[in-house]
Amino acid sequence: MTNGIAAQNSAINNLPVELEELVDDNTVLVQRTLRSGQSVYHDGNVVVLGDVNPGAEIVATGNIVVMGALRGVVHAGAKGDANAVILAFRLRPTQLRIANHITRPPEEEISDPDYPELARIKNGVVTIETFNSNFK
Amino acid sequence: MGEVIVVTSGKGGVGKTTTTANLGTGLAAASKKVCLVDADIGLRNLDVVLGLENRIVYDIVDVTTGVCRLRQALIKDKRFEGLHLLPAAQTKDKTAVNPEQMKELCEELRKEFDYVIIDCPAGIEQGFRNAIAGADRAIVVTTPEVSAVRDADRIIGLLEAADLREPKLIINRYRPKMVNRGDMMSIDDMNEILAIDLLGVVPEDEQVVVTTNKGETVVRDDKSLSGQAYRNITRRIMGENVPLMNLEEPSGLFSALRKMIGLK
Ligand SMILES: Nc1ncnc2c1ncn2[C@@H]1O[C@H](COP(=O)(O)OP(=O)(O)OP(=O)(O)O)[C@@H](O)[C@H]1O
Ligand SMILES: [Mg+2]
Repeated sequence: MTNGIAAQNSAINNLPVELEELVDDNTVLVQRTLRSGQSVYHDGNVVVLGDVNPGAEIVATGNIVVMGALRGVVHAGAKGDANAVILAFRLRPTQLRIANHITRPPEEEISDPDYPELARIKNGVVTIETFNSNFK
Repeated sequence: MGEVIVVTSGKGGVGKTTTTANLGTGLAAASKKVCLVDADIGLRNLDVVLGLENRIVYDIVDVTTGVCRLRQALIKDKRFEGLHLLPAAQTKDKTAVNPEQMKELCEELRKEFDYVIIDCPAGIEQGFRNAIAGADRAIVVTTPEVSAVRDADRIIGLLEAADLREPKLIINRYRPKMVNRGDMMSIDDMNEILAIDLLGVVPEDEQVVVTTNKGETVVRDDKSLSGQAYRNITRRIMGENVPLMNLEEPSGLFSALRKMIGLK
């Protein structure tokens, strides 16, 4: 947990100029891979410029975007926002949580897509779809 | 001023002590002055692996508590002039030493030796914090198993948090045949998660056990693949650029024939 806080602070302080505009009051940018045992808790959106490894955890009240492989556990909309989304370059989570929904990948290994995917709640279930930029 | 390198892993039994002993021997064989420090207090092993158990008089806790001077506790290896061991205490536990004392110890050792290599205990508690306290660089050992890789990832995170940047990876007990069958994680699989520089890959090899049980190190065995792997890693630590070796064992009818007619 302390790791997570440290990550947030340093992420906000060491931003390259071109990325600064990405950060509004409630978005935090994590500029590294989160390894096993590391976590980020944030009241807002979380963007990770790296991977989220198995055993790492992100809990955000808003959306979660991972510009790398998401292999750990993430919870978007943690205070109940069912409109929150999770977007990852490679979506391979151990478990996904959005608001009060929990899903995990199917046991039998299926497809292994090499494109970004988006998870969100549709008609009361968490669905995964190919991400394209005009998704809303 | 010498360099202090900690050998660590998170998960137990993946080959930290074996690695420490072989790198120490390899560096000493290259005429370096080396001190191996057994930081696994309470589960002393390194002395046994090096065949030096019966020479222990004082140990690391005797040094940090002032019972003896550092020089008195150092044990000279029987084979290599430049190789020394600072043994762990067997009758104490990890709390008998603190990180501050370890730092001082490492500072003192680096004045005398080219390389100080610390054998870290398994786990992420005080024993780990002691072992990394005085180190300049870290080597992370893993085996190609999901749980070992997970623990290695945890350790890399902790090392980075402790400002031990850019740790290097050793993959131990690698079995190419199992990897080819898809039954074992490949080098690429591990690199995808851990994403740190690879220092070397040591194959599974019964010679490791054979030599260890005799108080010898496989790095001195010219015929074994694992010995070659450790010699390569030793050279990389000294800054040489050595390509990864081919770990595939020659197999099949053709090589069996070659063996028969004495070509190999
Ligand atoms: N490449 C290898 N091939 C075969 N056996 C090996 C290899 N590497 C290590 N071993 C064996 O695995 C066992 C564990 O090795 P070692 O004691 O070095 O692990 P460790 O990480 O120091 O363990 P601990 O966490 O208990 O300190 C030993 O019996 C050793 O001989
Ligand atoms: Mg050991």
